[in-house]
Amino acid sequence: MTEVIYSDPRQRTHALHLGMWMFLGSETLLFAGLFGLYASYRAEFPSEFAVGVAHNNALIGTANTAVLIISSFFVAWGVHSIRGSRRRPCMISLGVAVLLGLTFLVLKSIEYTEHLRAGLAPGAHFSSTMLPARGFALFYTLYFVMTGLHALHVVAGITILTWLAIRVRRGRTRRDHRTELELGGLYWHLVDIVWIFLWPLLYLTHR
Amino acid sequence: MQTLESEPQPESSGRPLVVTLVALLALTLISWAISHLDLGMASTLVALAIASTKAGFVLHAFMELPLAATPARVVVIVTLSFIALLCAGTVTDVALR
Repeated sequence: MTEVIYSDPRQRTHALHLGMWMFLGSETLLFAGLFGLYASYRAEFPSEFAVGVAHNNALIGTANTAVLIISSFFVAWGVHSIRGSRRRPCMISLGVAVLLGLTFLVLKSIEYTEHLRAGLAPGAHFSSTMLPARGFALFYTLYFVMTGLHALHVVAGITILTWLAIRVRRGRTRRDHRTELELGGLYWHLVDIVWIFLWPLLYLTHR
Repeated sequence: MQTLESEPQPESSGRPLVVTLVALLALTLISWAISHLDLGMASTLVALAIASTKAGFVLHAFMELPLAATPARVVVIVTLSFIALLCAGTVTDVALR
């Protein structure tokens, strides 16, 4: 079908890349709205948000930042490898990125469990007696919405990278079919960028 | 990422990717270290400035934005402009409360 629409492979590649960049733009604006909400509520409840940030597990947050950055590198390395027709290093790179993505989710679930046990749940389920004010409830509601939405993107990214790794393993992604790897890589890098901003706002800025 | 299918590409070095990884991890460490300093309100601005720098590295080296076609770059510029508009609106709202 695409061959009929695009007589020139260049056109197809350009269209696919442009489509992905537009999708990533819309995804970025989705998160931007949540960041705007965070900024607005933080201005209204500065001390509660600062205490909420200090209460979060900075070690897990920081470890997850390193995990996603390294995974992003491996995805970029996978794309670099397939351009050189090196299937095996590409497959290994994607596999490592998937494992790192799963590591991120495991660490996140440990953190979620800690919060929920302490009653730091989103919305009406917030029941902490340690941090009782309304500002804390808002902070943790935003925390769960922002990190939860991001985690869903991580799950989607892991699924895409796994599918790509399987295709590379089966030899279906050859050097002349690398566009799909580049597009999958772009998505994963956006997931990394979103976390790069979530991390300081939810784990570091406690002063 | 602007390679074209069926078009032979010259073999590029993976060195920029490794350098970018090291820079990103170093900036992460710096950001974490700075969070322990008492900079008051400036701590958030410094943290966001470092995060923006890191995002720039990812866009440049991993996502290869400089190699992207002009329409793709326009999409990025428009997205960043909308975010700037959102930031301006939020700051104005907070300042006028």
